[in-house]
Amino acid sequence: MRCHNAERWLLRDLDGRLSNQAKMKLEVHLQGCRGCTLKKKDYGLILGVLRAEPSSTPPDFWGRLQAKLNDRARATPWAWMRAWSLRAVPLSLLVILTLVVTMLFFFPSRDRDLSQTEALLLRNENPYLETKALFEETHLENKNLMLIFTADEKSPSRSFRP
Amino acid sequence: MEEKELIRLAQEGSQQAFSVLVQNHQNRVFNLALSLTRNREAADDLTQEAFIKAYLALPKFRFRAEFGTWLYRIAVNQVKDYLRKMGRRREVSLETVNEQEGHFETDEGNREKEALQERRRRLVHQVLWSLPPKHQVILSLRDIQGYSYEEIAMILKISVGTVDSRLHRARILLRKKLAPFLSQEGGLYEVS
Repeated sequence: MRCHNAERWLLRDLDGRLSNQAKMKLEVHLQGCRGCTLKKKDYGLILGVLRAEPSSTPPDFWGRLQAKLNDRARATPWAWMRAWSLRAVPLSLLVILTLVVTMLFFFPSRDRDLSQTEALLLRNENPYLETKALFEETHLENKNLMLIFTADEKSPSRSFRP
Repeated sequence: MEEKELIRLAQEGSQQAFSVLVQNHQNRVFNLALSLTRNREAADDLTQEAFIKAYLALPKFRFRAEFGTWLYRIAVNQVKDYLRKMGRRREVSLETVNEQEGHFETDEGNREKEALQERRRRLVHQVLWSLPPKHQVILSLRDIQGYSYEEIAMILKISVGTVDSRLHRARILLRKKLAPFLSQEGGLYEVS
């Protein structure tokens, strides 16, 4: 084993992250390498010195923090609005989407031209209503004109409307 | 009350719930800041600032990570900014350290073990502060605070492999800088 690898392994060993097999290999290397043995000692000393004794925060930590939080809240009265704005954006989008869908479903589309059969079935219209005037017309010339205009039903501009 | 419930209440603006969260985490955050600044006053200010930032950012917390991890990430960034502003990256020359510790050699025989330990601690921390902030932070999280590799990976948003390699580099750098004071048989800092 090279000393470079041994150093990596001995650091992992200090963290308890070395397998038993690797540990044995490292031990064998350390027995024959004075340099790495000294490194192990050094790291043990350094890490031992670094390990901190836990300390506590100065007294009245929350009291002081609360005062600062209140100061900030007073300084930025619209802070709550900013906090809620992120939620408001998707909420508004949802409302708009719902409105659009509702309008599409519940508002009827523009009336389109119905055929006579559709008018009869859907609107219960009398099919003879349009022809009534034609039958009642006594003047022959007018009657002929009316017949001419009603013949072409596909052209609404030419259709006769009494 | 569970932490999640406390967070939800705090998100709705309950300072009482937030105070419980602060109580649960204030010492860990403080110790983290203290280990990097070695200054109780600065550590206290940084801890307070970290909690204020956390409070303001709380509505954006989405429970994707543990609250503690999220909070320590804020604290680490806060401390990193502080270290950059304070120009902590100043190099501590070994000559300076030697001068500071020079008198110690002659008096060592009369010193007590605790005093020796304190001097060692001071020396190691002094050299630690001369390292780049990212090395300081990782050494502090692992070797001072004792966080696991997995926790560090989550706090720093890096992989466990990166934690391993960065920590390795940081420790080697620290040992190299301390080399003149270490491993000298019968030397000043030899463990007896």
